[in-house]
Amino acid sequence: MLSSPPLRSRRLEAADELEANELYQRNGWTDGLPIVPPTEARVRACLEAAGMTPDAVLGTEPVRQRLLTAEKVAVNAVMAGCLPDYFPVVAAAVQAMCEEPFLLHGATASTGGSAPVVIVNGPVRRAIGMNATDNALANGARANATIGRAVRLVLVNLLGCVPGGLDRSTLGHPGKFTFCIAEDEEGSPWVPLAEERGIPRGASAVTVMACAPPRQVMNEWTTDPREILETFAAEMRANMLGYSIWSGNYVLVIPKQLRDLIAAAGWQKQEIRDYVYRAARVRRADWQRVGKGRVAGGEDVEFAALGSPDDLLVVAAGGPAGGFGMVIPPWFGSKSRAVTRAIGLCLEC
Amino acid sequence: MPIIVLDPTAESVIPAAGLAPPLTSLSGKTIGLLDNGKVNVAPFLDHVEAILRMEHGVAAVLRRRKPNMSAPAPAELLAELTACDAVVSAVGD
Repeated sequence: MLSSPPLRSRRLEAADELEANELYQRNGWTDGLPIVPPTEARVRACLEAAGMTPDAVLGTEPVRQRLLTAEKVAVNAVMAGCLPDYFPVVAAAVQAMCEEPFLLHGATASTGGSAPVVIVNGPVRRAIGMNATDNALANGARANATIGRAVRLVLVNLLGCVPGGLDRSTLGHPGKFTFCIAEDEEGSPWVPLAEERGIPRGASAVTVMACAPPRQVMNEWTTDPREILETFAAEMRANMLGYSIWSGNYVLVIPKQLRDLIAAAGWQKQEIRDYVYRAARVRRADWQRVGKGRVAGGEDVEFAALGSPDDLLVVAAGGPAGGFGMVIPPWFGSKSRAVTRAIGLCLEC
Repeated sequence: MPIIVLDPTAESVIPAAGLAPPLTSLSGKTIGLLDNGKVNVAPFLDHVEAILRMEHGVAAVLRRRKPNMSAPAPAELLAELTACDAVVSAVGD
């Protein structure tokens, strides 16, 4: 075995694991919840699971030229509660967020208060025990919970996205604690999201998007895919009027009950995107009725939620029962774009 | 038994550039005013410009606006501003 390069992080001594937690809380190095103390052995196990050296650079924050090294990201992943096998997913999410279209600084500092939602595809989901069915967007599975949390701790500790510091979110939303979902590929007849976005079938991948809080919809009174999707589109229109009118990436999470109805009509994700692209539109004059008349202007000017059908990310996830769905809107139009990246790409290759 | 844990923060931060020496007077100087692109910054900078011209006798004011409020100013725009004696970077929200 090759000799392993030393870890360069400053060492701190604590009386025990509980006292280490108190130390990190006092230093403002957490999200407010308890952390797992990042010992050298735990951090090394993460790096080994990803085949990364400590000094591998996962990305550079472009505004202040902060380097995100594998070692430091692994320290934060351990703190979040990640097991070593989760680390390649965390690393890929961080790499994706450092790609230029994500606009890392703007998306993490803005008063708009976005969260990076991490969507995982491929075999890694099952290998690490991710949940893609019941309660798909929420608590329950350690992998989902801690991967999303690791991303937040990286932002806090490595980029200084501390509330009131660089993170100027007016409100933020609960997804800022953790927001990591997996696609229910086994329960869906549709092409997985990552494959649609250019990742070869059989590879694992993450898709990251800077998102506003999710908005739940319900329609249990039709079997017509058009009517089902009209409900999703209506929620997107509501988001455009109440929050932000600008077009960008939206995620639609479609659980099994509605998914089966849409699929039974022979609709694939492409038909869904095409329908929603046409349906999710408002006119500027519509701002009159939501209290924004002062800037409503040109009454007939039409605004689309999606710049093109491909701006819609359709994800199969959720429990088997219930005619629900979720619309996850963008942080701020197309300023930040969703980025998809394969997991486990060799950095030195 | 004590445990050894690792600092999770970015320790090797690139040192910030030192502060430029302050101007002793604004009289006759060229001042850049960088607008971050948000709606309310223009009236604010109008006011700043009026004060600079009327009360401090600046020779010229170079007004520039970022094309994307959420992204860093493009290199060409920053290069233009380096011709100024001082720059006010303003955020309107």
